[in-house]
Amino acid sequence: MRIRALALLGIIAGVCLLLLTLQMRGSVGGAADALAVVTTPVQTVLARINRATLGVWGTYRDWKNVRVENRRLREESQRLRVEALRVTETDAENHRLRRLLTLKESLPLETMAGEIIAREWGGWVRSLTVNRGRGDAVARLTAVIAPDGLVGRIVDVRTGSSVVQVLTDPASSVGAHVVRTRTPGVIEGEPRGTLRFKYMPRDGGGLQIGDLVVSSGLGGLFPGGIPIGRVRTIDDRGSALFNYAQVTPAVDFARIDEVLLLTGGIMRDVAASFKSDG
Amino acid sequence: MRTFLAIAVLGGGVAHATVGSALRIADVAPDIPLIVVVLLALRRGPEFGCGAGFAAGLLQDAATGGLLGVQALTKAVIGFAIGALGERLTVSQPLVQVPGLVLLSLLEGLARFGLLQLFHFPAPFGGLLMYVIVPQALYNGFLGAALVLALAWAEAVRSRPS
Repeated sequence: MRIRALALLGIIAGVCLLLLTLQMRGSVGGAADALAVVTTPVQTVLARINRATLGVWGTYRDWKNVRVENRRLREESQRLRVEALRVTETDAENHRLRRLLTLKESLPLETMAGEIIAREWGGWVRSLTVNRGRGDAVARLTAVIAPDGLVGRIVDVRTGSSVVQVLTDPASSVGAHVVRTRTPGVIEGEPRGTLRFKYMPRDGGGLQIGDLVVSSGLGGLFPGGIPIGRVRTIDDRGSALFNYAQVTPAVDFARIDEVLLLTGGIMRDVAASFKSDG
Repeated sequence: MRTFLAIAVLGGGVAHATVGSALRIADVAPDIPLIVVVLLALRRGPEFGCGAGFAAGLLQDAATGGLLGVQALTKAVIGFAIGALGERLTVSQPLVQVPGLVLLSLLEGLARFGLLQLFHFPAPFGGLLMYVIVPQALYNGFLGAALVLALAWAEAVRSRPS
C-alpha cells in the first residue's frame, strides 16, 4: 500500500516536472488547451453561479444601504422640518413686530410695546398678562391695542407685569360705533368669548353684516377709531327698545403675542392708523 | 460518494479561481483546493490525497493560467504527506486544525516558491512571504477549521437517530 502510494507520488512528481520543463521550452500548449476544454465550461458555470450569488448579496447590501440612507434622510428631514418651523416662526414674529412697529410709528400717541407672557382663558375671566408693569410706569386702565385693533385695558398693574382685560371678558364694556352708519352702542364681552354690540337704537340703525365697529372715544379710556370687530349677526328683538348684534373681534386674542400700551394723549382719533375698508 | 469526491476535488480546483474572489478579505483569498485536499487526505489516506492534490492542483494551474504542474506537484506532495501522517495525528480539535493548516499552507507556499525558482520565477521571496503566503496560510487555517467544524456538525446531525 505504502509502496503504491510512493510510486503514485513519484509518477505525479515526474509528470509535473516534465510538464514544467516542457512548458519552459514552449512545447506543451496542447496539454494546456486540453485542460482548458475541461476547465472553461466549468468555470463559465461557476462564474454564472458566482455572479448570481453576488447579485443577491449585492441586492441585500443595497437594501441595507438603502435602509441606513433612509434612516439618515429621515433624521435629516426631521431636523430640516424643525429648522423650517423655527424659520417660519421667526419669520412670523418678524412680520408681527414689523406691523407693530408700523402701527407704533403711525400713531399720534405715546405708546409702549409689550409682550404677552400669559393668557387666562377660563371663561370667567378673559385676560392677558403683558410684560410691562409698575417699573415701566404703566397706569391702571391703560388702553392696549394691536395692529388689528383694540385688545382691552390694563386692570391690574404689578411689579414686572400687568393684566389686560380683553374685550371678550364678560366684565368688559367699551363705547363704540359702526363706521358706515355712525350708529352708537356699547361693545360687551360674553361668557362664551364673543362680543355683543348693545344699545343700538332700533330706528336708524341700518346695520349690515360685515360692518366695521370701532371704538367711539367716548368715556376717555380709549381713543376713537380703533377697530373692535365686524358685525356677524343682527339680533332683532322685535318690539324691544334696542337692537343687538354679534360682533367678531378684529383681534385674535388667542394668538396675539405683542401689543402696544397707549401711555398718553388718548383723546385723539386714531382711525387713520388702522387699515380698514369700512 | 465517489461523485462527491470528484466534485470536491475537481470543482474545488476550478472554483478557487472563479468564486474564491468572493471570499477575499483585505485582498487575501483562501486556497480552497488545498483545504479540500487536506481534508480528503486525512480521511482517505496518502494515495487518495496524492491523486486529489494532483487533480485539484492541475486544474487550479489551468484555471489560473499559471505554469501547469506547479500546484499539481505541491498539492500532490501535501496530500500524500497529510494522508500518510493523518493516522498518527489527532486533528479533531480546532487548536490543532488551525495551526496545522497554517503550517501546511506555509509549506505549500514555500514549496511552490522553491519549485518556481527552479523555473526562474522572478518574484522576490520577502514580499511574496509577507503579502501572499503568510496571510493566505492564516486565512486557510481559520477557514479550514470552520469547515471541519461544519462537517463534524453535519455528520453529527446526520447520524442522530430520528
